[in-house]
Amino acid sequence: MLAVRAIGLRPALRASRPSAALFRTAKRQIKTETISQAEARLILDRQRLHRPSSPHFTIYEPQVTWLLSIAHRVTGSALSVGLYAFFLSYLAAPVVGIPLDSAHIVEFVHGLPEWIKYAGKTVIAAPFAFHSLNGVRHLVWDTTKLLNNNA
Amino acid sequence: MSLVGGVVARQCARSGFGFTTRTIASSARLSLAQPVPKEQPAEPSAKAPLVKEFKIYRWDPEQPEQKPRLQSYKVDLNQCGPMILDALIKIKNEMDPTLTFRRSCREGICGSCAMNIDGQNTLACLCRIDREASKDSKIYPLPHNVYLGPAALLHAYRWIADSRDSYGADRKEKLQNTFSLYRCHTILNCSRTCPKGLEPGTAIARIKLEMATN
Repeated sequence: MLAVRAIGLRPALRASRPSAALFRTAKRQIKTETISQAEARLILDRQRLHRPSSPHFTIYEPQVTWLLSIAHRVTGSALSVGLYAFFLSYLAAPVVGIPLDSAHIVEFVHGLPEWIKYAGKTVIAAPFAFHSLNGVRHLVWDTTKLLNNNA
Repeated sequence: MSLVGGVVARQCARSGFGFTTRTIASSARLSLAQPVPKEQPAEPSAKAPLVKEFKIYRWDPEQPEQKPRLQSYKVDLNQCGPMILDALIKIKNEMDPTLTFRRSCREGICGSCAMNIDGQNTLACLCRIDREASKDSKIYPLPHNVYLGPAALLHAYRWIADSRDSYGADRKEKLQNTFSLYRCHTILNCSRTCPKGLEPGTAIARIKLEMATN
């Protein structure tokens, strides 16, 4: 490493100057042409029209962050579908002729085999419980608290 | 070596601390210097090539009708630096010059080389290559979206939160639409992957709170 003294860098540079031959630029083998900014922008826009969207959901490493998030979305939509179906059945019931009051529902469920009762309750309760608890997580996040795991 | 260190070294030389005791100008000493025969470094022991396959998502804007594809490149990890960016540069230099990617600081501070490596969004210059040669490494670009990403929103929050900035209301006004801010569903992949621990998720939550409570 050269230390600069009062005399300056010139003596050092003289000693280290490469030969002039190295500075001769090589002959260019490739022809280039200059285009204006506007033309360049046109080319770019034409490319962008055809540019495909790169994969994201299909290739991302499964992580607790987005797995829970997608589970929240899926359980949410599944529960919504179930609820809508139940509400709409109140409109359909008189038309179809099947009564939909508490007595009839209780009687119907009573008659089902044991395993269907257990499975049915799990299928309804598990997504509901997960979605509710995860919903609480979201509400806490919306207050900007507990958003990160770092110690 | 600092300027001070250089001066001290020369003064030591002058006083004869085991060096030549000639008091001469630095430049002259250089021209009179005798090259010290360096010990030849031992030939790098020929390591068996450790070949790893990299599958890189490619698309040619000059041929847009051609569907994007995963192109395979085989790289000898023993002749390559430790980071994914080193492998990409090696591929570009030696195998396929048409491979295109952004890069700048190569030290994990500028963010130019952000891409999806093996399913996680990271910086190529900070991501070590997995030395397991039997597994291939998949490299995808980041998706380009209509909405603002976590980096942009973090930057926006930096200004909204700054009490010295008088344009807070305008900034929040700009975010009042379906796409800019409210496409965020608090998935929190961004905070998890940030190599600098910047917590964009927290910043975005703070913007939302401010926009809701004003």
